[in-house]
Amino acid sequence: MIHDRAMRRTIFIVLLLITAAAISTAAQHSIPKPPAAADWAALARLPDLTGVWEAPTVGRGGRGRAVAPPPEPQLTPAYAVKKRELDARNSDDTEAANCLPTGMPAIMGHPYPYEFLLTPGKVTIVSEAYMQVRHVYTDGRPLPADPDPTFNGTSVGRWDGGTLVVETIGFSPLTTITRNTPHSDKMRIVERFHLTGPDTMSIETTVIDPEALARPWTTTRTLARHRDWTIREYICEENNRNFLDAQGKAGVKLTAPGK
Amino acid sequence: MRPIARAARRTLLVAAMIGGVAALAWSHHAAAPVFDMSAEKTVTGVVKQVDWTNPHIWIWLEVQNASGQAETWGFEGMSPNFLARRGWTRTSLMPGMRITVTFRPLRDGKSGGMFMTGKLEDGKVLTSAGAE
Repeated sequence: MIHDRAMRRTIFIVLLLITAAAISTAAQHSIPKPPAAADWAALARLPDLTGVWEAPTVGRGGRGRAVAPPPEPQLTPAYAVKKRELDARNSDDTEAANCLPTGMPAIMGHPYPYEFLLTPGKVTIVSEAYMQVRHVYTDGRPLPADPDPTFNGTSVGRWDGGTLVVETIGFSPLTTITRNTPHSDKMRIVERFHLTGPDTMSIETTVIDPEALARPWTTTRTLARHRDWTIREYICEENNRNFLDAQGKAGVKLTAPGK
Repeated sequence: MRPIARAARRTLLVAAMIGGVAALAWSHHAAAPVFDMSAEKTVTGVVKQVDWTNPHIWIWLEVQNASGQAETWGFEGMSPNFLARRGWTRTSLMPGMRITVTFRPLRDGKSGGMFMTGKLEDGKVLTSAGAE
């Protein structure tokens, strides 16, 4: 009997430890619930951002109109020096000429369309340029404390009335705030997406970087929805004849067919 | 609309398009370091090949030079994605078609440039802003 009781106590303690370990793991990686019918129905009450959108800066038939260049970011003295050093290298172009995707925030400024998809707990933004995908989690999860740096960063979103507010952190050092303007690992980008008409959407983008920027840098872009468009494939390496060499010289590979 | 007014409007539109594209900070590549954006040249030839590819279409033309020899010229256009939404198809230009191309010449003086407009023998005009 004593032997049995000791055995039962050991089993009990082992089970307790396993449970504690499981709870602790769950706290670190909460597994989202599968979406229920109500979660899909709830999407219909959100502003309809779905569909294919493009900035009407280029286009045919006078729809396009010139837009004023965005204001330049105000840099801190240390980053103004970095920018001057990069400017002095006098590179003709960026690595985008070699097909490197531009990352955030530039990926949202291309003359190509974006498709917005709303699913329970998530907004997905597909950029036709460079075939990029942004995953914006709207299920209430917090931003991770220290995500691995990536080109498009790590994003969460929330609905503030009719506005989707997206916060993004964790950017690769290969991306820039704007040309020749590096960011620090403290860069944070807040985007506010809201409908301004049946088929127009405003995106206000604020870049916050206490090390690189003297003050937050805000720009606004308006997109027009094209219900009849679909996103096309864009393989930049398919036939990229543009290049930027290691010395910063841009050129074109003009190899005639059959030669 | 009278033809002259239409031509003027088209010229303005194309100018606006080229300017607009160049002004965008995040196009695939900067045009000015490679092409002379202040120059405009014209060449007539026969379409040899069209690369309906990303990130740019390429139009290859066979052109007779001053001494009567055939030369191959290459022209970078917009992307098929951009053009397909604005009236072009991958068969808008086919091998064997005779075409007069207006372009921004390559700065290195090689035979080619940035495609602006192409006038077909039937009078149809294809522009970097769309097909008309």
